[in-house]
Amino acid sequence: MLSLLLKSIRSRIIPTSLVTISLMASMVLLLSIERIQQGAEEGFNQSISGVDVIIGPRSSSLELVLYTVFHLGRPTNNITTKTIDDIKLRNDIDWIVPIALGDSHKGFRVIATQSNYFEHIKYSDNQSLTFLKGRAFSELPEVVLGSDVADKLNYSLGSNIQITHGSVEATGNKHDDFSFKASGILNKTGTPIDQAIFVDLKGYELLHLGWKSGKKVFSLDNIDLSTIPKEDLNPKTLTAAFVGLKSKLTLFNFSKSIREYPNEAISAVIPGVALSELWSIVGLVDKGFELLSWIIIAISLIAMITLIIASLDNRKQEMTIYRANGASPRFLATMVIYESLVIGLVAIIGAIILVTIVTYFATSQLNLTLGISPSFQWISLGEIKVFSVILLAGVLSSLIPAVMVFRKNLHQTLS
Amino acid sequence: MLKTIGLEYHYQYGKKIEFPEIQIERGQRLLISGFSGCGKTTLLSLIAGALKLQHGDITFDNQEYSKMSSLLLDKFRADHIGYIFQTLNLIPFLSVSENIALGIRFSKPRKSKVIDLNQEILRLITSLGLEKEILNIPINHLSVGQQQRVAAARALLGRPDLILADEPTSALDNDTTEKFLSEVMETFDPSHQAIIMVSHDASIAPYFDTVIDFNKHNA
Repeated sequence: MLSLLLKSIRSRIIPTSLVTISLMASMVLLLSIERIQQGAEEGFNQSISGVDVIIGPRSSSLELVLYTVFHLGRPTNNITTKTIDDIKLRNDIDWIVPIALGDSHKGFRVIATQSNYFEHIKYSDNQSLTFLKGRAFSELPEVVLGSDVADKLNYSLGSNIQITHGSVEATGNKHDDFSFKASGILNKTGTPIDQAIFVDLKGYELLHLGWKSGKKVFSLDNIDLSTIPKEDLNPKTLTAAFVGLKSKLTLFNFSKSIREYPNEAISAVIPGVALSELWSIVGLVDKGFELLSWIIIAISLIAMITLIIASLDNRKQEMTIYRANGASPRFLATMVIYESLVIGLVAIIGAIILVTIVTYFATSQLNLTLGISPSFQWISLGEIKVFSVILLAGVLSSLIPAVMVFRKNLHQTLS
Repeated sequence: MLKTIGLEYHYQYGKKIEFPEIQIERGQRLLISGFSGCGKTTLLSLIAGALKLQHGDITFDNQEYSKMSSLLLDKFRADHIGYIFQTLNLIPFLSVSENIALGIRFSKPRKSKVIDLNQEILRLITSLGLEKEILNIPINHLSVGQQQRVAAARALLGRPDLILADEPTSALDNDTTEKFLSEVMETFDPSHQAIIMVSHDASIAPYFDTVIDFNKHNA
């Protein structure tokens, strides 16, 4: 039967291919949306680990997580270093890593922080940051490079780097009066850390000594840097601080007390909670796309049945000849059902290959734009379920033309 | 072997035909002639079980059509009847040998009569005047005359008890018609088989031992 069926399909190769392609395209759409969403969610969730709370200026929790962890958007306000110093004194805190954002280098964000950043900030499942080459900064004019920065800009240990004021290279003014030297290159993490450049907070402050209200007032070239007292290089404001608590049990009390801090309007964000908030927003859009994809699949299935019914009219001679030669209704129905199975299976195999290609490029794009690297897989259990539903729907719907085959009048068709 | 009793057929557009009673035994060759539209093909379809009986009955080896479901009739036709259609009804995307093999594909009794399928197909096409080289070529590469022989070979494969032929020579010229009929009659096995052919061409009557003229009957 299969050989008869394949020969029959080959004789109708163009319409059959078109329906297969449309079914395949709709499956690719559905699965791509799902995979990219899952990949992005997984990538985002792996981007920060080990941080219990992020303290920043009062703003939405999502906004704070986006610019501190994912380097998306700009901080709207700063918090004072005094506030962070006050919080440092609390007994429930294990560690605190302050950061200052705002500058960039050739499109990559510069994060001013302390060397304990590399000790406490983790990614994925509590994995520590490790150095591919070199070490953390210990002097003011030293920087640590994320792995993508070193790769893309072809930097190595000892490379000289000048930082641009502001986050956009084209419009910002270069801090051309001070150069940093690469002291370390981090191993790849698959998170936005790979696309960041880390400098010492004091070095960052030094850079901005001659700046006022975003404009350079005087150059560091004219100053003997060794004469500047180290205390003057303590930043007065910071963008945020990552906090590790001694006990997770104190998490909610700590967050509450930070929000109620009397001297400054600050907020404390639990990264996991903020990310859930993000996915509840993204999830709504995603559900809309998913619904659209299912509608497209339904349309493709209708197209498949339409094709089979339309081709039955062209194939009534073929079917009737089988019947005239004694083919049972079961044989004819099975043939029609097998045809929908063949179309469905070819569409599914094609969709898996295409989705894999789409996912591969989407993963690169996510890595390029968001710095996250979702894991890559061929086919998941959920996808097998989706394919089974589509295949079952295809087979069930092909029963309509199967019944029609047998109801056709043998005499009128043959004579 | 086969007997029709009081067959009548009412067409949807109002026409009604009363068919003469027919009785045929193994070895008999019956020609039904008559002008177009006199109901020859309808009678063959009724005998083949392709058309539902409306009035009267047909018995074939003591089995009554009126007592058989359409599914049983399909099976019965596959096992006992070889049908040469007026419009040939060959499947264009199958090769010559695949088209011929369809004749026994769905019938175990007819399949059991064929020991070596390839050999039997070769024997049939040779006796019907075709070359063995055509066996693997697509059916639409053949002339109408060749296709007519392929359709006949399919109906004859597995030695069915009854061969029904509906205007099989209508598309053939005189010489080819004579050659075709001679070949079919040579392949025909009178000890087991009977043949009913319908044709508007009365000149082929000498090939048959019984002729029913529908023109006279309906007049």
